[in-house]
Amino acid sequence: MITLSTDVLVIGGGATGVGIAWDGALRGLEVILVDRKDLAEGTSGRFHGLLHSGGRYAVKDPRAAVECIAENRILRRVAADCVEDTGGLFVTTPFDDPEYADRFLQGCRECDVDCEEIEPAEALRSEPRINPGISRAFRVPDASIDVWKTVWAMSHGAQQRGARILTYHDVVAVHRDGDAVTGAHVRDTRTGDELDIEARITVNATGAWAGRVAELAGIEGVRVRPGRGIMVAMNHRLVNTVVNRCQLPTDGDIIVPIRTVAVVGTTDQGTDDPDDESVHQSEVDAMLDEGEKLAPGLRDARALRVWAGVRPLFEDAKADDSATRDITRAHTLLDHSQRDGVARFITITGGKLTTFRLMAQETVNAVCRQLGEERQCTTSSVPFPGSESGQTYRLGERLGRKEAALTDVQVICECELVPLSKLEEALERTGTTILDDIRRQLRLAMGPCQGGFCIYRATGVMHELDSLSAEQADSSLRDFLQERWKDLWPVLHGDQLRQARLDDWIFQGVLDVGHLPS
Amino acid sequence: MTEALHYDAVVIGAGTAGLTAGARLAQAGAKVCVLAKGVGSTHLAPGTIDVLGYAPERVEAPARALPELISEHPDHPYVLLGPETVAEALAWFERTAAAGTLPGYSYSGSLERNQLLPTALGAVRASALVPETMAAGDQPGLGRVAILGTPALRDFHESLCADNLRAAGVQARGISVPLELERADMNALGIARHLDDPEWRATFCAQVSPLLRDEEHLGVPAMLGMRDPHAVLMDLQHRLGRWVFEIPTLPPSVPGMRLYEILRSALRAAGGRLVLGAEVVSHRRDGERVSEVVTRAAGRDLSYAAPWFVLASGGFASDAIELDSHWITHDRVLGLPLRGAPGPGDTRFVRNYLEDQPIARAGIAVDAELRADGAENVLVAGASLPGAVPWREGSGEGIALASGLRAAQVIAGRVREEAVVG
Repeated sequence: MITLSTDVLVIGGGATGVGIAWDGALRGLEVILVDRKDLAEGTSGRFHGLLHSGGRYAVKDPRAAVECIAENRILRRVAADCVEDTGGLFVTTPFDDPEYADRFLQGCRECDVDCEEIEPAEALRSEPRINPGISRAFRVPDASIDVWKTVWAMSHGAQQRGARILTYHDVVAVHRDGDAVTGAHVRDTRTGDELDIEARITVNATGAWAGRVAELAGIEGVRVRPGRGIMVAMNHRLVNTVVNRCQLPTDGDIIVPIRTVAVVGTTDQGTDDPDDESVHQSEVDAMLDEGEKLAPGLRDARALRVWAGVRPLFEDAKADDSATRDITRAHTLLDHSQRDGVARFITITGGKLTTFRLMAQETVNAVCRQLGEERQCTTSSVPFPGSESGQTYRLGERLGRKEAALTDVQVICECELVPLSKLEEALERTGTTILDDIRRQLRLAMGPCQGGFCIYRATGVMHELDSLSAEQADSSLRDFLQERWKDLWPVLHGDQLRQARLDDWIFQGVLDVGHLPS
Repeated sequence: MTEALHYDAVVIGAGTAGLTAGARLAQAGAKVCVLAKGVGSTHLAPGTIDVLGYAPERVEAPARALPELISEHPDHPYVLLGPETVAEALAWFERTAAAGTLPGYSYSGSLERNQLLPTALGAVRASALVPETMAAGDQPGLGRVAILGTPALRDFHESLCADNLRAAGVQARGISVPLELERADMNALGIARHLDDPEWRATFCAQVSPLLRDEEHLGVPAMLGMRDPHAVLMDLQHRLGRWVFEIPTLPPSVPGMRLYEILRSALRAAGGRLVLGAEVVSHRRDGERVSEVVTRAAGRDLSYAAPWFVLASGGFASDAIELDSHWITHDRVLGLPLRGAPGPGDTRFVRNYLEDQPIARAGIAVDAELRADGAENVLVAGASLPGAVPWREGSGEGIALASGLRAAQVIAGRVREEAVVG
């Protein structure tokens, strides 16, 4: 069996875990990161895409608000290419308590969240789809952030500095030597190969799964309550500004424009199982009904896809059992040598995507303390690979590139304008045979047809490039179709059902995916 | 609003069912108008005439499998149509294709044996009638075969197709030829238009010929000409000295567009009228009868009155039947009652994508004569009918042709009866 050794073993490839790898690599630490699946396939990849201004927490959770605005300012600089500067609005709709607006304004001031009240008419001019009955409106520096771009940029940066990122490696056991954690035993879920990783420090960055990984290290009582939330992606940018209802956060009170879609979020429901990705009809209905209050007509607009994500909510003694939304959104760093007398093991959980960099910074600070080494964090000033220019992402960049080379470039996915060259490059770089990994990396198949046209093409390209057997290619295609179906059917209606039937026609009628020889 | 235009029959929908009904009515002497929002299934489907491919195992002979399906699935449209109408419709279609405006381009096959044609993925589909451009791809007769692709055609992947065919026991290999094309992402229709040009075709053959081995058939993406596919096929077979066949791929479907051309020209030749871009937006009723339909076209409403209507507007895929955001299903065209449509609390979809999805069988409720419930002068045809899952079971064109034909027969019969009574 192969044994690898490293300074830091990071378990968990979400934004926080990859952020730790990036931070650690920048500080000159040796890092190995493992995840049982692909990067950002858990909570990080299953949220709405909001880069918080802090406005949503200004009244209820000031600590989280202060962290958010500080991180928002940093990420606009260092992760510019991953951020679209949409700006944000908080609006008081006829359904909201009018008293809240003044508390909101006051909270923003106290938390240093830039907030400017504007005339409702001005808000409606810039976002004509929102409820015309709004009585107050505030501008805040909300933005949207492409989590996949973020995670892949940090992963590339970390790898360039020697980090090893092992996706599809499941932790089978966490090694203990007396009172210290010494690493982990992992299994490649694709090949079945196993390997041992010896680490000076092991970091548990598994979010909602942190309690389970802590148990593998023999530590009880790390209680992380998964808070389930569903999100619905609408086919169009119904709004071009992040629009929030000006009230205490509740279900379906925000619409985030991100890349080519607008995401309506979200719900909040405690669950016991962080792997529970099921979506219920009643949740979809509630989301559409609430979205309707913010943007009338939303219910009849075209809904593309729905998914559930789980927030990692670390429970402390103050938390009430019924509503997970009341638990602080700030994060928790557990140094198990102090908490449990287990050395060389750190858990980071809770928090939210906007603060992943801060969480990584605090975690690597704790790692350095335990190692007795002084190494300065530089993630607030070193740009991510691809963000060196400091130019934030602009909608239409892909279209601009396509139009500049209209007849010379073969586009594989027309909806998201993914050229063949990008697909080939991603396949070569990752060596993946999982089409859903490519979807998250390139946005291939994320548009209106949800892969109806491009997935046959991508399967063909992958089969040829990777010299896959027909059997492997067929099962990749079938797995993709099954995976996408999970996120499609609970919200399928109207024009998207029409699209889905056309796709069925292609896959079942023209290609006959259901009757392949292998 | 101008006064209504009057016809003996108005057909809604220009897919295989609507055009068949329209052409048959016109051939029977009726003054017919076919109205459609746009073209139908033809431009998407492979262009073959599929009667029954899976039930649920692959069907060898539709003639034998149909009676079984009819006895086991009382809600299936074939129960209303019966094997005789299917056979009659196929015979009519074969004659119509042979007499059509694509010179020499014909369909062949029978209900006694499904032909097994490769898909672009290398699966094998079962079709009763196939155009001559596909006939040599019938698997039982297939010896060694080269599958040709070109980098410019992203909608066809020759080595994946060949590998899957090999897994199914066909001695297939993929070959690729770089074609000089005006853009890097040509579709099959673009190449088909080039292949209609004899000079371009000669160059194409000169490029392909050296790649071929002795005694090897040649499979190509379905792109063998739009104007004169028969000539393209003959020329290629002659120049390359072997059988050549088309493999259907992603829309737009070249053989499907030829199928459309065949049916459209049959309608026109018999004096029928076709109006595309004419979405039916409302209608008028006279009790249990629909008296007029109103279309919105070219910026104004036009009204079409007729004693008979054929509704062949299709299902969910053509937006004729809609599931709204409150999970209620509607006929968007005439507001007729549906059958087989799950209600708001019922199971619409199942978790396994490739399993039968309950909502797929929804359609307009009809009686044994294809008359819509609640509208005695509206006959329903094609994918508007409930009870079938056309692309899962490979039955779309069989149902479309037979129901289009039957609807025309019912109307012609009634017109004759009324003439006698009158």
